[in-house]
Amino acid sequence: MLPTFLGALVEQALNQIVCLSPKLRHALAPLKLKTLVIHIRDWQQQIGLVYSGKHFHLFLNYQEKGDCWVSADFNTLTSLQDPSRLTQLIRQNKLDLEGDIHLAQGFSNAFSELEIDWAEHISTYLGDAPAQQLIDSLNATSIRAKHHAQTLSAMASQLCQDELRITIHPLELSQFTAHTRELTHRVNSLEQRINALLNIKE
Amino acid sequence: MTEKQNDTTHFGYKTVAADEKAGLVANVFHSVAAKYDIMNDMMSMGIHRLWKRQTIASSGVRAGHSVLDLAGGTGDLTAKFSELVGENGKVVLGDINDSMLKVGREKLRNRGLVSNIEYIQMNAEALPFPDNTFDVITIAFGLRNVTDKDKALRSMFRVLKPGGRLLVLEFSKPEHEALSKAYDFYSFNILPTMGQLIANDAESYRYLAESIRMHPDQDTLKGMMLEAGFEQVTYQNMTGGIVALHRGFKY
Ligand SMILES: C[S@@+](CC[C@H](N)C(=O)[O-])C[C@H]1O[C@@H](n2cnc3c(N)ncnc32)[C@H](O)[C@@H]1O
Repeated sequence: MLPTFLGALVEQALNQIVCLSPKLRHALAPLKLKTLVIHIRDWQQQIGLVYSGKHFHLFLNYQEKGDCWVSADFNTLTSLQDPSRLTQLIRQNKLDLEGDIHLAQGFSNAFSELEIDWAEHISTYLGDAPAQQLIDSLNATSIRAKHHAQTLSAMASQLCQDELRITIHPLELSQFTAHTRELTHRVNSLEQRINALLNIKE
Repeated sequence: MTEKQNDTTHFGYKTVAADEKAGLVANVFHSVAAKYDIMNDMMSMGIHRLWKRQTIASSGVRAGHSVLDLAGGTGDLTAKFSELVGENGKVVLGDINDSMLKVGREKLRNRGLVSNIEYIQMNAEALPFPDNTFDVITIAFGLRNVTDKDKALRSMFRVLKPGGRLLVLEFSKPEHEALSKAYDFYSFNILPTMGQLIANDAESYRYLAESIRMHPDQDTLKGMMLEAGFEQVTYQNMTGGIVALHRGFKY
């Protein structure tokens, strides 16, 4: 039950982000109702992710292979930042891919272009000054996101040089996972800050 | 163990004539319908959402599928299925009780979910569909209320497409003695009291607690599904076996 519960939490965070970003909704539209499945081998956990056009649905203990299936150890998934290792990983059987890789790319791209007008949303609750304070701290995130986007394109060209027949890659999936994690983290700390600020105001 | 003996059956712990049971069950859900969702959250401390979530995850539902949410009540599963099958898919919310269906319809309409959902009053024992109609059938906390469970399972098997699957989410037998005791205390003492306080109806919730105990345990239900023709039948215990999710395929 615990994984299912955590899945529900992440799903909620994702949906909050979707709510706040029209651009993300736009970027996700073409991926509507396609299932991305991530198999984390060492966790013996398989995660299904679908965007329905309105919401994200995230399923733990997912047993199908969906439209795109990516399988690797957790560390492999996160170490995919280094594109030169990719071909090697597949050859060593440390990574498996099936189905429509564009789907993983699509999700990854959608999240890397994420821009949320936090200031607007937050000032409604807090007033301008505290909102600004929060935004400043969040800017760090967006810089990081841009950096991610750059690494991503570097990886893409690297991949082609690697003679891989597939154009798109779970690298981006790892990016996506990383972004999601980071965003979840951000949203959580944001919430904590808001709570703290609300307490001060009272 | 099948629970039908000639023409009497169980209504909670009371033994009643088989053809009386459907009416008695209907009464229970008529009186519960309006407060059903609140009670669900209170009774299970919200955990029923996780059980249902896992049911959807195991359903393998895809865009374009036809889904029957049988004994669907107020439509929790239907709501999710409706999003996941998309506009080319279809979800039928089926229930024997029109009060439950009405509450369900209203709830889903308010959420803007309409276009691909049909609401049909039906008895699980004689499903009003041609053979091979659905890709997925779910029956969540519904089978224990059905009088002739074997007949209902056969009916579900019939309307399922080859390759389709049935998911039965139902209260079951806790795996450990201690949990079992605590759970008994909860359902026979706390539950009816909560039912009295929130829905002003202790009797219906006493029935619910009793019907849970009379329901076949994990392996018995698995056997019944195999008997009805399902293949690759497996079950997954949740929350220590208080609830089990059975899954079977038609090939
Ligand atoms: C406990 S509710 C479950 C509702 C919903 N599936 C959920 O999980 O929240 C049980 C439902 O089964 C319905 N039901 C009972 N006997 C039935 C039968 N023979 N055929 C169809 N539905 C039946 C009741 O009307 C009631 O709505």
